[in-house]
Amino acid sequence: MTQPLLKVTGLSKRFGGLQAVRKVDFQAHSKEILGILGPNGAGKTVCFNLISGVYPPTAGEIIFDLERLDGMPPHQVAARGIGRTFQIVKPFSHLTVLENVLVARGISHYGSLTRIWSTWRSRQDQDAALNILERVGLDGLAHRKAGLLPLGNLRRLEIARALLVGRKLILLDECFSGLRHEEIARLEELIRNIRQDGITVLLIEHNMRVTMGLCDRIVVLDHGAKIAEGEPEAIQNNERVIEAYLGRKRKGSHAA
Amino acid sequence: MSSYVITIATIIIINAISVCGLNVIVGYAGQISLGHAAFFGIGAYTAALLATKAGISFWAALPCVITISASIGLLLGIPSLRVRDDFLAITTIGINFIVEAVFLYIPFFGGALGIGGIPRIMLFGSKLRGMGFFWLCLFFLVLVLAFCWWFTRSWAGLACFALREEESAANSMGISPVRIKLLAFMIGTAIAGLGGALYAHYMRFISATDFSFPVSIAFLSMLVLGGMGSLWGPVLGALILGILPELFRPIVEYRILVYTLLLLLMIRFQPGGLLGEVSFLRKRLVPLLKGLKP
Amino acid sequence: MHLFFEQLLNGIAMGSIYALVTLGLALVYGILRILHVAHAAVYTVGSYVGLFIFQATGSLLLAFLGGMVFCAGLGILIERFIYFPLLKYPPYVPLIASIAVMLAIEEVCRLIAGPYILTFPAKLPFPELHLGTITLSSTLVAVYVITAIVLLLLWLVTTKTEMGLAMRATSQDIAIADAMGINSHFVVTVTFIIGSAIAAIAGILVGIYYNQVYPTMGTVPAYKTLALIVVGGLGSVPGAVVASLLLGLGETLLIGYANVPLPRDALAFIAMIGVLMWRSEGLLGSR
Repeated sequence: MTQPLLKVTGLSKRFGGLQAVRKVDFQAHSKEILGILGPNGAGKTVCFNLISGVYPPTAGEIIFDLERLDGMPPHQVAARGIGRTFQIVKPFSHLTVLENVLVARGISHYGSLTRIWSTWRSRQDQDAALNILERVGLDGLAHRKAGLLPLGNLRRLEIARALLVGRKLILLDECFSGLRHEEIARLEELIRNIRQDGITVLLIEHNMRVTMGLCDRIVVLDHGAKIAEGEPEAIQNNERVIEAYLGRKRKGSHAA
Repeated sequence: MSSYVITIATIIIINAISVCGLNVIVGYAGQISLGHAAFFGIGAYTAALLATKAGISFWAALPCVITISASIGLLLGIPSLRVRDDFLAITTIGINFIVEAVFLYIPFFGGALGIGGIPRIMLFGSKLRGMGFFWLCLFFLVLVLAFCWWFTRSWAGLACFALREEESAANSMGISPVRIKLLAFMIGTAIAGLGGALYAHYMRFISATDFSFPVSIAFLSMLVLGGMGSLWGPVLGALILGILPELFRPIVEYRILVYTLLLLLMIRFQPGGLLGEVSFLRKRLVPLLKGLKP
Repeated sequence: MHLFFEQLLNGIAMGSIYALVTLGLALVYGILRILHVAHAAVYTVGSYVGLFIFQATGSLLLAFLGGMVFCAGLGILIERFIYFPLLKYPPYVPLIASIAVMLAIEEVCRLIAGPYILTFPAKLPFPELHLGTITLSSTLVAVYVITAIVLLLLWLVTTKTEMGLAMRATSQDIAIADAMGINSHFVVTVTFIIGSAIAAIAGILVGIYYNQVYPTMGTVPAYKTLALIVVGGLGSVPGAVVASLLLGLGETLLIGYANVPLPRDALAFIAMIGVLMWRSEGLLGSR
């Protein structure tokens, strides 16, 4: 059993009086697609925010590639090869789609006081960015201002950016919501391709069919705590999970 | 050209340089700065002091002016970053007032009398005046514009734009908000310092009130009018707000009123500026210009 | 010792006046998150209007009432025609507009009333007080009393009335207040009315206190009140009042009594930066 790529132990986050995440443990192995499920308010996005460095945990450890991530600011987490998408899309509205992706491409340049002065308009960088756009199917819109795009395309843009940043791990936060049927199928295939490239994927998703189909393993959270972990079929039949989503069965009534 | 026109033109160029600096901070990096005149003043006083008290020529003093302006920008920029967005505007105003107070009250800076007798700039053995000085300023403006053009094509510039658009997303792509904001701030204040040095050698006499808060507002107005974030916006803004008062000279009494009403109308109906993204000018002119291409 | 107490009382008066001017700014910021720099111009206009009405009628009461009404109207105009359409833009847009409005109004005052300092030779109907060896002029007493009344009324309105509750709700979260059925725009209008009317009171008081009314009398308060709402904690009205009193005391005692050679007007900003370094939300701020 190889070392897990990402190891989260005892992760907790408190916001004032609200315990958003309580003592969550899970691991993600290299080239795995790990699903993070749970009803609304379960703390899934908070976990992503903790991993990506948006705020530090109140307690617990996050170890990525044998290095402690907790407490690291987002730009340093990103530099370690972890990319993410946001639940509410955050495009750089006044920049073109191509430029949006180029920002992500620059990740190796921002930390250096010398390299930061080189131009982003080189042929090499433009081609790399176009490549990624092709993978997500946005190459036709490369020169459109990102702010003008519809949601489906914006989600793809988020993923394109995350792809360039996340050479080791990508956190996808509800990237299937609001998508049409064909778009969903395309995105599923894209995520499988990502895994082929050797990138690990953490997936928060509400679409059950997609999740069960894509994920190798699933972790389920409820009210901030982990209530189940395992392979899709096991999770589907897990009583605690069903209870969390559908509410407690009333005494004497039969299961649906 | 009459010396009157040259005077106006020179001031416009000097202002344009300063506003280019402001554009880096506000237009490119999306930060608020309502105290830009302070750094214009820091550059002016540095040049003035080096020239009058140490006898150092403008050219030799130039690296010093730029370094000091950038350093103080860094110094004042760091605490500014700790402060929330809304506070930032007020903090920059505060910086303006405090810097002005330092110039006014500390005797080293000449106090209320300021610094006088600043020598003219020498080039190849002759003093630059009138037209000659104008060309010098124009030279520096071109230099600054070239730098800004390069900046927008560099990763540093792209990082600024990303930060301006969506800070959290930029952060998650490896862009350190603190580093980039400080970088933009330092560049902006350094450029303002350069403008200030030119100003000092032009006016040959400076005092603290030349760099007070209304001057910061004037700079910001020029930027807003011309179009934040555009390369030529600062120049256009400085040009318009430099010429306008002269056009209204006949109605001197109402000049300031007209000036402020124009600013008000501008910001109310075209906050993006004349060269802004969705400005009236861009919408009409750009298709027109495109139609002219063969 | 005598000097100390004199300056102490002057300082409290100074602070009270700052509080009156800052209140409007704090109220508007609390509800719209806009830095209503033009508020200082409303204050200046209040002083002029009060002076003109007093000169015309000889009645201070009418002067106060007229000033309050006129300024309330001015405040509504500014809110409706300048701020309301600009709410959707980034915050520097309404800020620049506010500064432009302030400069424009100051210019109008200058054009109408002339650039010279006018006098406001009114006597406020308050008694002189004698505390030991110290005499408090009727103006000083008036400042204390009027400020206290205004603060009390404001407190009563915001805590005991429905409108006050609506104001507090709207300043917490305007979208939710709307969703709860509060007519947020009406609440905003009321806030401007209250703030502007108080500014008028402050303007008239200052005009009488210093016996000076001039077009740029709002400039220094404009910037100081900005620093004050930061020190008090953006969004906190009680904080603004406390900060105002402290500044009034600080300025007067440090400069009038201890003769510390600091520039009086920069003191507000120095204090602001000091407080921010210590507590980045301001004295009584939250979040």
